[in-house]
Amino acid sequence: MKSILLAAATLGLMATASSAQSRLETVQDRGTLLCSGHNGSYLGFAEVDDQGNWRGLDIDLCRGLAASLFGSSEGNLDIVPISWAQRWPALQSGDVDVIIKLSGWSQSRDTELNLSYSNPYFVASFHVMAHADIGAETLADLDGGSICVSAGTTTERFLAAYLERIGIEAEVIVFESGDEVRSAYFNRRCDGLTLLAPPLAAARATSENPEAHVILPDVIALEPEGIIVPEGDPDWLDVMNWMISSLFFAELNGITMDNVDEVRADPPSSQIATFLGVNPGYGERLGLSDDWAYNLISEVGNYAEIYERNIGEPYALPRAMNNLYINGGVFYPLMVD
Amino acid sequence: MAKTYAKPGILEQLRADYFSNKLDAAMTLVFGTLVIWVVWNLLGWGIIHAVWTQENREMCGHGGDGACWAVIDARWRLILFGLYPFEEQWRSAIACIAIITVGILSCVPAFWHGKKLAALWITGFAIYYVLMRGGVFGLSEVSVQDWGGLSLTIFVFAAVTLLGMPTAIIFALLRRSDLPWISRTMGLIIDSIRSLPLLSIMFTFAVVLPFVLPSWLPTEKLYLVVIGYALFFACYQAEIIRGGMQALSAGQEEAAKALGMSYWQRISYIVLPQAFRNALPPTINQLVITFKETSLVVIIGFFEVLASGNAAYGNSDWNFAHIEVYSFVGLIYFIFVFSLSRYGAYLERRLAVATR
Repeated sequence: MKSILLAAATLGLMATASSAQSRLETVQDRGTLLCSGHNGSYLGFAEVDDQGNWRGLDIDLCRGLAASLFGSSEGNLDIVPISWAQRWPALQSGDVDVIIKLSGWSQSRDTELNLSYSNPYFVASFHVMAHADIGAETLADLDGGSICVSAGTTTERFLAAYLERIGIEAEVIVFESGDEVRSAYFNRRCDGLTLLAPPLAAARATSENPEAHVILPDVIALEPEGIIVPEGDPDWLDVMNWMISSLFFAELNGITMDNVDEVRADPPSSQIATFLGVNPGYGERLGLSDDWAYNLISEVGNYAEIYERNIGEPYALPRAMNNLYINGGVFYPLMVD
Repeated sequence: MAKTYAKPGILEQLRADYFSNKLDAAMTLVFGTLVIWVVWNLLGWGIIHAVWTQENREMCGHGGDGACWAVIDARWRLILFGLYPFEEQWRSAIACIAIITVGILSCVPAFWHGKKLAALWITGFAIYYVLMRGGVFGLSEVSVQDWGGLSLTIFVFAAVTLLGMPTAIIFALLRRSDLPWISRTMGLIIDSIRSLPLLSIMFTFAVVLPFVLPSWLPTEKLYLVVIGYALFFACYQAEIIRGGMQALSAGQEEAAKALGMSYWQRISYIVLPQAFRNALPPTINQLVITFKETSLVVIIGFFEVLASGNAAYGNSDWNFAHIEVYSFVGLIYFIFVFSLSRYGAYLERRLAVATR
């Protein structure tokens, strides 16, 4: 499968090399953004509601991007359902314009697969969840215990390395699939369960008794998730970086979906006036309309609102390092001038 | 006067069948208890303690006594129709029923005639396509990537079988050609395709092929994957048909030649009907496998019924209810596959394969 992927990516590169036009212009000419969805559901990031509409953090970024480009996502956004394996070829072939699909920034993707990553919009950390009655406060308290992990993922390697680093001995029990490893943990086959934080929080929030499980603070490894565009398209990549930055900027300045109209009517600073398109420049330099950030915030709100709606409220996952720097997180906006 | 025997009573019959000695009695008791225990628990979980409507969702104890069928009540349209636009799902329903009806009709012996079958299936697919795709008769247009659920599963299965079966016959005939170049090349092709996993064939057809096809050819992923799958099906089915042909005695074809029948007459009147009769059990088997493996189209992002099931329990409200969703999807598969097997059994009796 990997060689098929590489072949597809190479072929795709040849196909993209022949057209010099930026994907930004292509999308604007088409009038519709083709954004990545999921083949099923990925809790918190891409879900389907009762009416068959997409929901989730990744989906909100797609909506926000469409609103930035066209003023509103209504009628201007196609969510294309794709599988994990299909995402790179789909991007190269133009089936989608952009991949927003919780995909970590790794060196091989960045170089061999010829992809360009935006600044991270989410940092997914691997944690261990333990049964509360064990009384563990950090991973070190699980010394001599057992930890469940799913096979064939990088998680297994990260966990072994981390255990070695903090110098504790724990039995690592490997399971084939995500469903198996979860039910093994809930049936007390092991003391701890290792997963990426969002699915871990989802497993906890939807379990019989969420209080009976604690997510330990140790960060075993982390994965910076960015928006992905084909390599060699700086204009298109700029749009991604500035959209993410604008979500952080709005949060930092207290601009929300509800008050964006008031703030725009009476901007507290000339910087915010520029940001919301009252003064010219913020959009023009990107090849967008000047009020694009206003449209973005009206459509999906700032980063805090997106996070709370999709992850914080339904799955009770604290923002932790996904917070702004002023709240102890790793995120910050770029400079608006 | 013929000697008559007293008909044994039910109790005597039971004793003779299940309790004739100590070992029999012990086994009957052990397995009988086991069966009753399993059935009782299933009934308790699935029916007696189950929660049926989404209004009572709060009563779904996480890991409690009963099944939470409320998830099906809330999400059945997603499972059956996938991402198809909510207000237009009646179209998907009718399209699905149309294909199933055509499928059932073509199982009736009265329709077993080349022209009738062709007309039937062309009508069926035309109805399906017009309803699903829209854009004519005032129906709004729905893009192929939004097709999903049971309607998509049925479509993929029907299209693969319909494209694959004639191709399989051609492959089998080429494979049996007297010219070694043709038969060996065909053998090589069949063996190569059979040695590749279906998943990578689907992926290659849907994802890699569009890069190399000339741009004027349609590159709709669904159609490409159906073609790839049909090719895969044809290679397996061709070998099944060839097996059926080889079971015929050489005298059959020679006798037909002696009567002056042409090649096509021999094939269509003498060889193929008997070959299909011989190959009926493995053919039904192959159809069942093909139906179940339609779920692999999920690899190219299509919401067939299993993937929509995944989406149905994939949110914070229903994440605990995956067993119920999978049971429901399993039931759908069971209904189709079981009907297919029973139809196969009926055909076997009708053609009397076993007693020939």
